[in-house]
Amino acid sequence: MKQIILMGHVFFGVLCILSTVWLFVDVLNAREENLGRIRWMSRFVSLLMWLAFGIGGYWYVVHYKLDKAVILKGPWPFSHNFFMESKEHFVIPLLLLATYLPMTVSRNLAFDKDARRLTLWIAALVALLALFAEGNGAMIAMGVKVALQAQPH
Amino acid sequence: METTRPSSKYTVPFGLSLALCSVLNGFLVIAKEKSKAVSYCMQKLTGHHWITHVLIIFVAFLLFGFLFAGQNSSGSKMMLRKLTNIIVGGVVIGVLTIVGFYLIAD
Repeated sequence: MKQIILMGHVFFGVLCILSTVWLFVDVLNAREENLGRIRWMSRFVSLLMWLAFGIGGYWYVVHYKLDKAVILKGPWPFSHNFFMESKEHFVIPLLLLATYLPMTVSRNLAFDKDARRLTLWIAALVALLALFAEGNGAMIAMGVKVALQAQPH
Repeated sequence: METTRPSSKYTVPFGLSLALCSVLNGFLVIAKEKSKAVSYCMQKLTGHHWITHVLIIFVAFLLFGFLFAGQNSSGSKMMLRKLTNIIVGGVVIGVLTIVGFYLIAD
């Protein structure tokens, strides 16, 4: 069950990145016809980020202690000391960005260049920070793996 | 055609709040890591320092957002171009503070 929870965190995180890239391309090509989809996609991105954050946060608070102990005894302690420590804190502005995203699409993005620019920047920051978080997650998992491999059999 | 749809009254205030809270988040990380008293207090408040951290920043985001919206000052008339620069600047500073701290200072 613990692993399913963790995979749920990764699943919603990846889906959030893909949806944000979709939104970014849609906003680049904003027309009257796709404004409705842009607004719905911005809410969908926000929902996905809340799910990824909530599940990841639950896993971190309840289950991470054991992994942390394994990582710190292994050859890659920086997997926790840098990658987890930074990830658990920079995902907070990431959550705020995703929460804010639907507030930026209320104007007519097909005609308002400045509003389009704002939405593009917010979407780009969400995608980049989420990608950074995924990378950090991979390094944390690798920290556990190399620690277990280094243990004497 | 919906060319005259107005901007949400929350776009500018919550954008400013987002920038402010991103920087605040970076400072809170440093305060928590450098002061055992701060870390202990945050641990005691909710049972886990990270839960307290998230709650402080999210409540601050809502509080500043509604506060700025209620002020109805120059914030609501701010140009979106300027707002974009402030948000990007705030988020970049906040994230670099965290990454830099764990990379160099900690």
